[in-house]
Amino acid sequence: MPRKPKTIPTERRLFETEARPHLDTLYSTALRLTRSPVDAEDLVQDTLVRAYRFYDRFEAGTNFRAWLLRIQMNTFVNRYRRTTRERQVFDGPMATPVGEGVMSRATMRALTDPVGDAQRQIIGREINRAFEVLSEDARAMVLLADVEELSYKEIAEVMGCPIGTVMSRLHRARKQLQESLQQHAVELGIIDAEDDDTEDPVSLEAFRSRKAAKS
Amino acid sequence: MSCKLVRRHLGAFVDGELDPATQIEFERHLEACSACQEYLAFERAFRQQTRESLGGSHAPEHLWARALHRLDEIDEAKTEYGSLIEIRPMRWKQTGLIAAAAGALLIVGGVVGLPDGADYTGAGMLQDVVDLHSKGLPSDVEAEAPQEVVRYFQGKTPFPVKPARFEEPSTRFIGARYIKVGSHPAAALYYDHGGRRVTLLVFQSPDMMRNAQRTQVGGRELYYHDVGGNVVTIRQHGGVNYAFFGDLDRPVLFQLAANARVAY
Repeated sequence: MPRKPKTIPTERRLFETEARPHLDTLYSTALRLTRSPVDAEDLVQDTLVRAYRFYDRFEAGTNFRAWLLRIQMNTFVNRYRRTTRERQVFDGPMATPVGEGVMSRATMRALTDPVGDAQRQIIGREINRAFEVLSEDARAMVLLADVEELSYKEIAEVMGCPIGTVMSRLHRARKQLQESLQQHAVELGIIDAEDDDTEDPVSLEAFRSRKAAKS
Repeated sequence: MSCKLVRRHLGAFVDGELDPATQIEFERHLEACSACQEYLAFERAFRQQTRESLGGSHAPEHLWARALHRLDEIDEAKTEYGSLIEIRPMRWKQTGLIAAAAGALLIVGGVVGLPDGADYTGAGMLQDVVDLHSKGLPSDVEAEAPQEVVRYFQGKTPFPVKPARFEEPSTRFIGARYIKVGSHPAAALYYDHGGRRVTLLVFQSPDMMRNAQRTQVGGRELYYHDVGGNVVTIRQHGGVNYAFFGDLDRPVLFQLAANARVAY
């Protein structure tokens, strides 16, 4: 068969112009989802191929990056069929209950104002580690919301779930991330466990007295 | 508003996803509650650290070129991927579904006043396919949902007719009608491929295959007849013939026929 382009070049050019700026986003997300640079490249490539095939179905005026991410997520799910099972565990009765006081005040403070670059780096590393042990679904939620900063509506479209579900799944994912971070941080001694006041009921009085004691 | 409630939904607050009234209530509470302010500061700082820690990987330099190469291949020949994994539940209108019989898609060439009888065979039938297309008979069913097409053909054709799907997104389903080719009941399905009409005739007739030429496109076996400068492309599936005809160049029509999902 002669190798001669048959599609209208303008459409191809348009697609390239629109897609190119999102290559890093796609790769970055793919890397986080697949955990492998080789798989990530394949996933991005498949995503772009599919996006190109369905380019005329993209609704002008909507978020192209979100559209690409949706295709990528679907491609990923199709290829790695584990997600369905994980999601059941994640959302179903086996899901770990998440309380409000997942993170101690001490940890919160240490993370809110890291002292110096060294500590920032440790925190960055710890977030990575905590992220890696999350379920696929939780990783997707954190990536879409916190890294890619998509709106709940866009996340709902990417994940194929109602907006209301996005809120609870995202909440749970974030709490799981923080929980894992907290545990590990205490184990490593990054956070002083003695200063850990998780059990301390949150009260303004306690906060004020601690503040007064510090100053 | 309780601290507990505020903290529970602090994430949505920072995301700016609360409804405006609630957002204002949250702001009021946060102004007055220094403990919750602490949580808010953490929420924001942690969000930023998450973004910085997890984001920002750069794609390797060769990746874009690699992807473009694949796009070239699609542009050059869309025949390599016979079947297509759906991205999402397809909507009838968007997908450009090709009506397919459960067994196969046939292009039926029968029109009112077509010759009938024993000597009505392959050649005449082929001409009918071409005529059917050229006449552009109006659709009887312009379905929004594939089920409507399936229902429409129920009891009319001896085989179920189901919308077939085309891989090329530029191919849209327009409508369908029941028709007779010779004495054979058939389904005529109309599509639009980038502004050009394509007719898919679904029917059962061994005559159609007589003297047909055979070729392979993208791993699919195709039959075709040259009819007065035009080509009718036929696929067989489950004893049903799917004949494709359209105002298209031969390679494009071949690709279209090869990539169509006639049974699924």
